[in-house]
Amino acid sequence: MSIDEPSLARLMTASQRGDRAAYRALLGDSGKWLARYFARRIAPHQVDDLVQETLVSMHRKLATWDNSRPFLPWLAAIARYRWIDLLRRQRDEVELGEGDAAVGAEDEVVHARLSLDRMLTLLPPGQAQAITLVKIEGASIAEASRICGQSEALVKVNIHRGLKKLAQLIESE
Amino acid sequence: MSDAAIDDLIDNLADELEPVRPRRVARGSLWVAAGWAAGAAILFGLGGMRHDLAEGVMMPPLPLLAFWLIVALGFAAAWSALRMGLPGVGRDYSGWRWAGLAALALPLSALVMAMDDSHAALEAAHPENGLHCLMQGVLAGLGVGAALFGWLKHGAPTSPERAGWVVGIAAGAAGATIVALHCASNDMIHIALWHGLAVLLSGIAGRVLLAPLLRW
Repeated sequence: MSIDEPSLARLMTASQRGDRAAYRALLGDSGKWLARYFARRIAPHQVDDLVQETLVSMHRKLATWDNSRPFLPWLAAIARYRWIDLLRRQRDEVELGEGDAAVGAEDEVVHARLSLDRMLTLLPPGQAQAITLVKIEGASIAEASRICGQSEALVKVNIHRGLKKLAQLIESE
Repeated sequence: MSDAAIDDLIDNLADELEPVRPRRVARGSLWVAAGWAAGAAILFGLGGMRHDLAEGVMMPPLPLLAFWLIVALGFAAAWSALRMGLPGVGRDYSGWRWAGLAALALPLSALVMAMDDSHAALEAAHPENGLHCLMQGVLAGLGVGAALFGWLKHGAPTSPERAGWVVGIAAGAAGATIVALHCASNDMIHIALWHGLAVLLSGIAGRVLLAPLLRW
């Protein structure tokens, strides 16, 4: 089934009435749409988790879609909320001093970077560099500290402040 | 995670599906109206309405203008809060900011009046002459605040911080309109300071207390 607005809106209307087959199809299509949405916004190893979290949120908030309005802006709003939530959690992880996994998958990395690069240009250089090294390229705090010449504490502070600013930028978009 | 994990999740979610009744802003509005009516009924029941209004006489022009400014702010904030419960990228929730900006005419006018007559301003600013209005305003707005909080708790506000502000401001403005129909003062400094503070304090309380509870 193609992922187009009228089809999704019809499936969603049927889902709100309790049609499980329509709902299964809707979740499948939404999952594909979300994977593309997040692929341009977050590190590839986080996409599947975030797609699943967003599908669960969509399930919990099914009644908040108004069938007089289009479906995709509603789904995008939920996806954006989960994305911001992920950024906040990452910020909190930095505060707790936890590390982050490295990123592979060359092609996907490039796509994620396209969108992230634009956002990172809006941050002060020190914050953008710390986030790039630790959150995108997978360096440890200690490695990032050596590479960019910032103290480990400053790297953490820059990641914390940068992710907070990024969340605000996304909210205001 | 893999495609199989997502497929399993989809199967589980589909198996759990029950029919849902789409949430309607009109229904939420009725709860907000009921919250305002409850606050008004309690305050008027305990303290009565302004004597002039109770006798069918119109308020003086300036307090009347202040009343409608606060009504406009309350309406705009409540409407924004209701819309925040039904998310959508590209939707505009900013109407309350413009109403808030217009309502700033109230404290600015009071400031000019206070500069002209500082003795009267100090008298009006004495807590003994207005603290009760502030308390009544905050308490009378709790019905609207509870209605909007309940609406958003079951909705999907995508910015809990902003939603907390807006719920608080709507509740405070609702309380201030109720107090305006109860408080006999026609002094603009009293209205701007004590009735206006109810809006500000409720807004801050909404941001601090409600925002964390509105996360989902």
